[in-house]
Amino acid sequence: MRFIRRLWARTRNFATRSTGDRRLREEMEQHLALQTEENIRAGMTATEARRQAILKFGPVEALRESYHAEEGLPVIDTVLQDCRYALRMLFKSPVLSIVAVLTLALGIGANTAIFSFLDAVLLRSLPVKDPQRLVKLGVEDWGGITDSFACTELYSYPFYRQFQRDNQVFSDTAAIMSMMNEVHGFVDDRKDFERINVQTVSGTYFQTVGVSPEMGRVINESDDSTEGAHPVVVISHAFWKNRLGGDPAVLDHKIKLGNTVFNIVGVAPAEFFGTKVGEAPDAWAPLSMMRSIPPGWKGRNDNFTESLYILSRLKSGVSLEEATANVNVLFPQILRSFPDAKLTQENSERLARTRVPLKSLARGVSYLRNAYSEPLKVLMVIVALVLLIACANIANLLLARSTSRTRELAVRQALGAARIRIIRQLLTESLVLALAGGALAITFAAFANRLLLHMISSGSETIPLDVSLNLRLLAFTVAVTVSTALLFGTLPAVRATRLELTSSLKTGRGASTFGARTPLAKALVISQVALSLVLTVGAFLFLRTLNNLSHVDIGFNRQNVLRLNMDSSVTGYEDDDPRLKALFREIEGRISSLPFVEAASFSAFTFSEGSWNTAINVPGKLFDRRVNVKHNSIGNDYFKVMRIPLVSGRQFGPQDTATSPPVAIISEAMARNLFPAGSPIGHTYSLGSPDGMTSPVEKQVIGIVKDVKFNNVAEPQDYIDYLPYTQHGWGFGDFEVRYTGNFAAVAAEVQQAIHAIDRRLPITNVTTLDEQVARSYSNQAIIAQLSAFFGIVAVFLSSIGLYGIMSYLVSCRTGEIGIRLALGADRTEVGWQVMREVVLWIAAGIVIGLPVTLGGGRLVRTMLYGLSGSDPFSLAAAILVLAIAGLAAAYFPARKASRVDPMVALRYE
Amino acid sequence: MKQKTDVQQGTLALMVLKTLEVLGPLHGYGIARRIEQISGDLLLVNQGTLYPVLLRLEQEGAVESDWGASENNRRARYYRLTREGRRQLQTEVQGWSQTTEIMARFLSAKAEELS
Repeated sequence: MRFIRRLWARTRNFATRSTGDRRLREEMEQHLALQTEENIRAGMTATEARRQAILKFGPVEALRESYHAEEGLPVIDTVLQDCRYALRMLFKSPVLSIVAVLTLALGIGANTAIFSFLDAVLLRSLPVKDPQRLVKLGVEDWGGITDSFACTELYSYPFYRQFQRDNQVFSDTAAIMSMMNEVHGFVDDRKDFERINVQTVSGTYFQTVGVSPEMGRVINESDDSTEGAHPVVVISHAFWKNRLGGDPAVLDHKIKLGNTVFNIVGVAPAEFFGTKVGEAPDAWAPLSMMRSIPPGWKGRNDNFTESLYILSRLKSGVSLEEATANVNVLFPQILRSFPDAKLTQENSERLARTRVPLKSLARGVSYLRNAYSEPLKVLMVIVALVLLIACANIANLLLARSTSRTRELAVRQALGAARIRIIRQLLTESLVLALAGGALAITFAAFANRLLLHMISSGSETIPLDVSLNLRLLAFTVAVTVSTALLFGTLPAVRATRLELTSSLKTGRGASTFGARTPLAKALVISQVALSLVLTVGAFLFLRTLNNLSHVDIGFNRQNVLRLNMDSSVTGYEDDDPRLKALFREIEGRISSLPFVEAASFSAFTFSEGSWNTAINVPGKLFDRRVNVKHNSIGNDYFKVMRIPLVSGRQFGPQDTATSPPVAIISEAMARNLFPAGSPIGHTYSLGSPDGMTSPVEKQVIGIVKDVKFNNVAEPQDYIDYLPYTQHGWGFGDFEVRYTGNFAAVAAEVQQAIHAIDRRLPITNVTTLDEQVARSYSNQAIIAQLSAFFGIVAVFLSSIGLYGIMSYLVSCRTGEIGIRLALGADRTEVGWQVMREVVLWIAAGIVIGLPVTLGGGRLVRTMLYGLSGSDPFSLAAAILVLAIAGLAAAYFPARKASRVDPMVALRYE
Repeated sequence: MKQKTDVQQGTLALMVLKTLEVLGPLHGYGIARRIEQISGDLLLVNQGTLYPVLLRLEQEGAVESDWGASENNRRARYYRLTREGRRQLQTEVQGWSQTTEIMARFLSAKAEELS
């Protein structure tokens, strides 16, 4: 109580800067006057009486100091005093300070930026109620649709219903479409379409994740009761603000998708982005409406049309293990209970073997996490190393500076300053430096975040990922900043204060003592070189990987092809509608006749857009369900556009119609490995397995084309077959145009020509095929670019470190060099001596860094393509770069050393 | 020659409180004189050290101070014991007498008592 009252009084004094100086002076005056009077009464003379009074009162300055110490908050006072002094010191050598602050800002900022991505992608929990209790069936987060038996990742709607009813371990169970659908619709009576990302969910979804609406209501169980009867959507906060202008009467608006008009019934809260990190739906619709989203999507009532994730909330008190046990009892039971389950011996055995794994949904589902967790971790290590190098650099600068301050520090110690007090002062200087760097780093990180987000986003749409500054990030930055300051500040501070007073005071500028201190500086420089080696080798490895990836033979010609997406569902035609095919044909014809166009064709896929794959059954070969063939539905000129050479047989032509015999063109590898010996042309085969859930479709082979890559450039050869879209409907997909001339002009003309046929058709993702292929290895490109950037920064910082310490050493040794020159030493020899020393340091750094580098190379080997982690070229190139940079840094001090004028040097001493 | 001892702050504070309790409101010089008289000039090396102690006691709320007129009509700051100060004095006096009693007993102990 007393303590608190006192602290309060002191804080008040401190804050108001009120000092009792006047009061003390008055009291002292009065005290002395009274004492003097008494002394006079005792018989002293007036002067003597006053003198005795003062003597008895004691030293006034010491009293004032202890009085003030009682009065305010002395600890904070000295801290502020230290800070002021630190600022003065920093301003005294502005260049050094600016270099240090910028270096730190870069280092800390890069760490903050990468950490904010790491946090958003890997660490942060979903903004929902009690996310720790949410689980998902299946661990791999596939997106798509399958009819395979006993699939543990994707589930059918009937399965979800049965599971929801029968399980005993979950308080809530929801299903959500594994893919978000990009559809194009119209708000009210607007003429221009809006691109809307719709997530279809079960009626229990919002209840399960525990999210309440910001306005209106959420989707509930009654919206999901009768198929097709509940055209309602809940829109996201962002959609409401951006596309509907934040209209308070939002619930009166309607959205038209295809032929269906949806009522907006609610707005989701701003922070809710669904359960997938890196995807943010514009709207949620009930699964009862999945036939309209996208239009024509079927299969809600099929027991084996599996395209849903099942998400559940654990009942309180139920552990993940208990839940897993219950799920695995129900899983085979439900599947067996379906009347259309083909319980062949193989399927039964498979079912008996299958276990459904459960995973926590606390951090959501994320394709970003799969794609970027490794790169982000590697980048985090890279930026941490860069920061370490920066710290070493600043430590060296401070060390050099504290050496030149030896005299000042010695004087202060001689005047009675405690060593710990001086260390505190020096650490405060480091901290002020680091804080300035940290503050700048936050600005820098905000900029870097935007850049990074842009880099990982394909196309113009940036990935909806919240990487803005939050408390956690701020705490991270502050922690990094403070530990940085301790890291680079402690050693120099401790070093600087350990001195022998007399010699320091005597030698003036204290240059000669540096010799004794260089081991530390040398160690710092050598470790900088070692770390730089790690980073440079890493940069070369990733750059070479990128180079290898971009030179893979992908089988088709990626140059001069324009590609775009056209959503034909706005026409309201179903996939198999002849009118849709006539529309496709018309567009292909119109575009092909443009003067700068060589050929144009629709296709279901071009490159890296997912796949539709099944097993195939070839008469005369043993059926193997593990062999998957990817199917592509294409127009007649597809091979011409892509420049995929025909090996034998014929291409599709006007004779292949919906009513003519079903035909297929197969890839070379497929012909070689999956068909009996001899030419497969004329053979028939069927898509799907004989015991599959859907009946096989029979095709006749009419041609063979060269192999191409399909999903990514690094994959092993795929089996691919092509079907004409006249025979196999694929409603919405890609349109490719091989052109000559200027891309922007062609793109404008092509879009204009399509809109001349039907102005409603939404066209998106207009880009080049080249760009699309490059995007498939964009994370390797990002890693390569960033690691190259940080590699350069590391080498640059190390060079500055080398240069700084070497010039310092040379200037310290000016006298010695002068004497040697005066005694007849060779000038070149003196220069070489300096160079030799630097070469020794670099060599030491490389020797130390090499095992670390090789270890690191092993860790990242899964991220490399076409080379190993110990790629000799990368090692040699990195060593060469380091050597050149190091020697360049040493050249100037060496030249300075060789040009020392003995007379000047000796006089200077 | 008798050695003067500088007392610990806590002890000095206790003396100040006791003085104020016995004599009522008093200015700094008065308190210093009184302490000197009682301790026989043994305690206060520097009278000035009293003032930080007074400030501290005031911050703790044990004393209050205000300007008043001294005996010979000078402006002087008078210190007065507060209720809180009285309570503080009481507990500390108790603590002290306990300690001194124990110490006295201990120091006057005979060999046979300790064995």
